[in-house]
Amino acid sequence: MTDWNAMSDAEFRKEVRQFFEAEYPEELRHLPHRPKFAEIEHWHRKLHAKGWVAPAWPAEFGGMGLNAAKLLIFYEEQQRWGVNRGRDMGVQMVGPLIIKFGTREQKDYWLPRILSCEDIWCQGYSEPGAGSDLANLRTRAEIDGDDFVINGQKIWTTMAHDATHIFMLVRTDPDAPKKQQGISFLLAPMDQPGVDVRTITTLSGETEFCEVFFDNARTPRENLVGELNKGWTMAKALLSFERIFIGSPSLAQNALGQLESFARGRGAFDDPVFRDRFAQAALDVEDHAALYARFADQLKRGETLGADVSMLKIWVTECFQRITELMIEAAGPDGGTIGPLQVGNVSVDVLSSFYKARPTTIYGGSNEIQRNILSKAVLGLPG
Amino acid sequence: MTQTDILSSEQEDLRLLRESARTLFERAGGSDRARKLRDAGGGFDAEMVRELAEAGVFGVAVPEDQGGLGMGLAAGGVIAEEVGRVIAPEPVVLTIGLSLGLLRRLCPDHPKMAQLIGGEISLAVAWQERGPGGAPADATCRYADGKLTGGKAWVVGATGSQGFLVVAEQDEGPVLVLTEADADGLVIDKRTQADGSSSGELSFSGTPAAELARGDAVQAALEEAVVDTTALAAAELVGLSGRAIEITLDYIKTREQFDKPIGSFQVIQHRAVDLNVMCEVAQAGVRAALAQMDSETDPKVRTPIASRAKARAVTAAKKITRDAIQLHGAVGYTDEFDIGLYLNRALVLSAWLGDDTYHRRIWFEAREAEGAAQ
Ligand SMILES: Cc1cc2nc3c(=O)[nH]c(=O)nc-3n(C[C@H](O)[C@H](O)[C@H](O)COP(=O)(O)OP(=O)(O)OC[C@H]3O[C@@H](n4cnc5c(N)ncnc54)[C@H](O)[C@@H]3O)c2cc1C
Repeated sequence: MTDWNAMSDAEFRKEVRQFFEAEYPEELRHLPHRPKFAEIEHWHRKLHAKGWVAPAWPAEFGGMGLNAAKLLIFYEEQQRWGVNRGRDMGVQMVGPLIIKFGTREQKDYWLPRILSCEDIWCQGYSEPGAGSDLANLRTRAEIDGDDFVINGQKIWTTMAHDATHIFMLVRTDPDAPKKQQGISFLLAPMDQPGVDVRTITTLSGETEFCEVFFDNARTPRENLVGELNKGWTMAKALLSFERIFIGSPSLAQNALGQLESFARGRGAFDDPVFRDRFAQAALDVEDHAALYARFADQLKRGETLGADVSMLKIWVTECFQRITELMIEAAGPDGGTIGPLQVGNVSVDVLSSFYKARPTTIYGGSNEIQRNILSKAVLGLPG
Repeated sequence: MTQTDILSSEQEDLRLLRESARTLFERAGGSDRARKLRDAGGGFDAEMVRELAEAGVFGVAVPEDQGGLGMGLAAGGVIAEEVGRVIAPEPVVLTIGLSLGLLRRLCPDHPKMAQLIGGEISLAVAWQERGPGGAPADATCRYADGKLTGGKAWVVGATGSQGFLVVAEQDEGPVLVLTEADADGLVIDKRTQADGSSSGELSFSGTPAAELARGDAVQAALEEAVVDTTALAAAELVGLSGRAIEITLDYIKTREQFDKPIGSFQVIQHRAVDLNVMCEVAQAGVRAALAQMDSETDPKVRTPIASRAKARAVTAAKKITRDAIQLHGAVGYTDEFDIGLYLNRALVLSAWLGDDTYHRRIWFEAREAEGAAQ
C-alpha cells in the first residue's frame, strides 16, 4: 500500500492531478447540480478501484490515510479540475463518526459498504421545529426487543430520495432535563415500511432535498453508534470537521474562475467598475485562502480546531454569493435567464451558480449562528 | 385651487387607483394566481387582462384625446407597484410603457392603440440585438419591401402576444413595423426566465410586416418609451420589495427557534429594520422620480431620473429578496413558500432594461454632460 504521506507535496499533487485529468469524465466536470448516484457511479467505481474514495480515512479502514497537508492538496486538485464530490455524506460524515465512536463490528460492517457505495447515506438531523435549534428535535426512537422503533419527521434531507440509509439524531430519552441530553446517534435503513420520502422542490425547480417520515420504522439496536443518549456530544465533535470543509475556498474559487472567463467573453472587463468589483472578489478569495491555510496548518500540527473556524464559513460563503451575483451582473440582459449561456467556447449557467450559493449561508449552521458562536466563544461578548 | 390643493387632489386620485388595483389583484388570487400561471406554463390570464383594461389600467398614461385616462406615469407607477406586490405576469408595464409608449408617440391613430388599451391584444416590442459575445449590439435587423430579415433579442412578452412592434433599419434610417406573431418566416426561440416567464429571441427571414413610422422620430420615441418603461419597472420592483418584507415579517414573528420567535433576536430585528428603511427610501425615490418625469418633457432630464429610479429599485429589491430568503432559512429556499417567487421575479426585473450598476452609470454620465453644458 502506498504511503502517500511519504511523498513530497509536489509529487503527490502531480500524481493526484494526473489521475483526475486522465480519468475524470469531461462531461461531469463542474457539474452545476448535485448528481444522483447513477450519474456518477462509473466515476465512483474508478475511485474505488484505486482506493481513493476516502482520502481522510485511516488506511486500515480503506482510506488513503492522508495527513492534513496531503488532504488539502487532494481537495484542491479535486476542485481545480471540477471533480464532483459525489455522494460523500457516507465518507465525510457518518464514516468518521463510526471510525471514532463505532464498535469493531460496526466498523467491519459499515465502512466497506460506504467505500463501495453499496450503501448511500443521507443526513437526518433537521426537523420542521429543529433547524438552528437542532437540539429541539422530536423524532423518537424507542427500544422494542432487538430494535429501535422510530417515529417522527426529518426535513431538508439532501438527496434522501437517492439514499439507502440515513444517519440521524433521535430522541431516546424524552424525560432528560436538558434538550441536548437524551439524544442518540442512529443508523437506519430506508427501504422498509414506515419510511416515507417526499421530495421538496427548491426555488430553482430542482428536487435535491426531501422530507422523511418515520411511522414505526425499525432499525436493529446494534445500529446505535456510541452510547445511548450521548449523540449530541458526538455529533458536535464532528461539526468542527464539517466546518473546515464547509469553509474551504473551493466553491468560491471555482465560481471565480467561471466568472472570469464569462466576464472576459462578455467584455465586462472593459468597465472599470466591474473590474474593481472583480478585483475585490478575487482578493477576497485569495485572502480567504490565506486564512484557510492558517487553520489548515493548525490541523497539520495535529491541533484541534477551535470555535474560531466559524469565520471561514462566514467569509467564504458570503464571498461565494457576491461572485455569483457578479456573474448575473456580467450577464446583463441575460441575467434572469435559466440554463447555460454560451460565450465564445465557455458556457456558464449563471442562475444555477447563484441558486447554489444562496443556501450556503443557511445550511451547516447558518451564518447568523456562526456569528453568535464567534461573538460568544471568540470575542467573549456576553449573552 | 392652491398648489398644495392640486397636489393633494392628485394624490387622492392615485390613492383611489392604488386601492382599486389592489382589490382587483387580491380578488383574482394575489400571488397564488401568479404561481398557478407559472406552473401552467408561464402565460397570463386573458380574463385578467380584460378586467385590467376595464379598470383603465393600460390607458392610464395615454392622453385623454388618444383614448386613455391621461393620468401620467405616476399613475402607471401606482399600478406597477401593485403588479409587483402580487407578481402578476400580465404585460402591464410592457403595455403601458413600451408598446403604448411607442404607438402614442408615433401613430396615435392606429387601430392597435384602442385594442391595446381595451386589453384585446398585447404587443411585444423587439428593439435590442445580440452582439457576437452575447452582449447588446447595434441594430442590424433590416426592413425592405414590406419584409423583415435578421433578428432581435430579449423580447419580453414574446409568447402570449399577438404581434410584435419591431424597430428595424432601412436605407433611410430606423423604421417601426408591425408583424403578426404567426407571420411567415418568423421563428421565436423561447428562453425561460427565473420567474417562469419567457423572453424571446426572434429571427426573421423575409417576414411580412407593415410599416408604422419611419425616421428619427422612431429612435426618439423608442428612447422615450424605454425610459418610461425603465421607471415603471422600478415601481414594479418597489411593490415587489414591499410585499417581500411583509411576508418576511409575518414569518419571523411566528417561526420559533430556541423557544422564541426568531424575530426577537436583535440581529434579525436590525436586519428587518434595515430592509424596511431600504424599501422606504426606494419607494419614496421611485415615486418622486415618476412624478418628476410627468412634469418634464426634456429627454436629457427625464433619462437620468428614470435611471435613478431603476438603480435604487434594483439595489433594494436584490438585497431585500436575498435577505428575505436568508431570514426564512431553508423554507425560503423551497418553491412551496412564496418568498422565492419574489426573489425570482426580482432577478428578471433587475436584468430587464439595465441593472443598478448600468443605471448608476447612465445617471452619472448625464450629470457630467449637464455639468459640461453649463
Ligand atoms: C440546501 C439545503 C440542504 C440541507 N441539507 C440538509 C441535510 O442533508 N440534512 C439535514 O439534517 N439538514 C439539512 N439542511 C437543513 C439546515 O441545516 C437548516 O436549514 C439550518 O440548520 C437552518 O435551520 P432552518 O432552516 O430551520 O432555519 P431557522 O432555524 O428557522 O432560521 C431562520 C433564520 O433565523 C436565523 N436564526 C435562527 N436562530 C437564530 C439566533 N439564535 N440568532 C440569530 N439568528 C437566528 C437563521 O440564521 C435564519 O436566518 C439543509 C438546508 C438547505 C437549505
